[in-house]
Amino acid sequence: MAASDAEPMPEVVTEAIVVIDLVESTLTSNLSGWYAVGRQVIRDLRALIGEVGESRGLRCLRSTGDGYLLTFHDPQSAERAALRAVEAVFELLNRVARRNREVPEERALNLRCAVHLGEVDIVSNDREGPHISLAFRLEEISRASLPAALNPIPPEQFPLQNYVLCSEEVAGILSRRASPWEMVSIGLLKLKGFPGWREVFRVLPEEHPADLGRGIRVS
Amino acid sequence: MEAPAPLRKALALVFCDIAGTTRLTAQEGDLVVATMLREFFEQTGRLGTEHRCLIMKFLGDGFLAAFDNVKNAMPFVFSIQSLLSQNAMFMGRSLGFKFSLHYGNVLYIETSYGKDVVGEEVYVAARLNELAQPNEIVVSQVALERMPSDYKARAGASESREFKRAGKVKFRRVNLLGL
Repeated sequence: MAASDAEPMPEVVTEAIVVIDLVESTLTSNLSGWYAVGRQVIRDLRALIGEVGESRGLRCLRSTGDGYLLTFHDPQSAERAALRAVEAVFELLNRVARRNREVPEERALNLRCAVHLGEVDIVSNDREGPHISLAFRLEEISRASLPAALNPIPPEQFPLQNYVLCSEEVAGILSRRASPWEMVSIGLLKLKGFPGWREVFRVLPEEHPADLGRGIRVS
Repeated sequence: MEAPAPLRKALALVFCDIAGTTRLTAQEGDLVVATMLREFFEQTGRLGTEHRCLIMKFLGDGFLAAFDNVKNAMPFVFSIQSLLSQNAMFMGRSLGFKFSLHYGNVLYIETSYGKDVVGEEVYVAARLNELAQPNEIVVSQVALERMPSDYKARAGASESREFKRAGKVKFRRVNLLGL
């Protein structure tokens, strides 16, 4: 009997999936040293995620090397888990901004965040499944992705760091639930390994300059 | 220098997607697929120029082409389709082209990466492309009405699909095999 036959089927749950990438973390470690700077930076990020996630249903926190995979769970409502996840990510960005004002430049944290919602397999302190892959594909989107998108925003309007992207599923929840965040479609993109075109949204912080909200809004 | 103001234009939009590249990558490797795509983009660019294509935007393993005159769109599609039987790079590799054609008002804009078209009609053309089978073109009713009658005669039964934001869109399918 193959080893996999003996393993029980993993528990499948619907969770909000967040992928957080630390911008230029490898470069920072190479320039300033992993032991001197890199290690402390990534540990600070882990601590901040723990703080903002604790009261918002953070269920999984796994290192991806230069960032983290997080999932949020709400036993009553998967949609609420998505709202909590977005709320946690913006709170994280606020805390990161405050921290960055107090530390030297090489210790600054700059993040790229993506939020998706979907069914995942629970595997130890980890998650598996196509929705996890989709969240990673969202996080990989950058300015360079936009020329190959349909109805894209101008690449110059796409931020380089400290922003939140979300999938159509999450955008739908945020608009249905009358959340405080505005969303702007950044275009329709083909995500590697996934068929068809997927509309991707940038979630804007509650307080943002008026011109950030230009584009196709979700009402 | 400031970019020129966007221009609203009624254009014919052709989407093309290559079916079979994932399988080809698994069977022959990514170098073969990269070479095939280079050839595809080169030939498509050349044929686009020949058929008075206004803009050509390459999208992964496909493209979006826009035409001022809808009558130029189908001859262009046929010329692309013929690559499968006439170009050694595509022959015998079980590839297929999935096309869609739509007509509507779009914003024709100058961007930092070149010319582009944006608007809800682009979205419709892309969604229609998802309905196409390999070696088939899905033509919106709006586009079909502007095409010569012989194309209308080749089109299959009328179908419709509800698209987010665009509402109900009528379309017909044209099989490109044997044309």
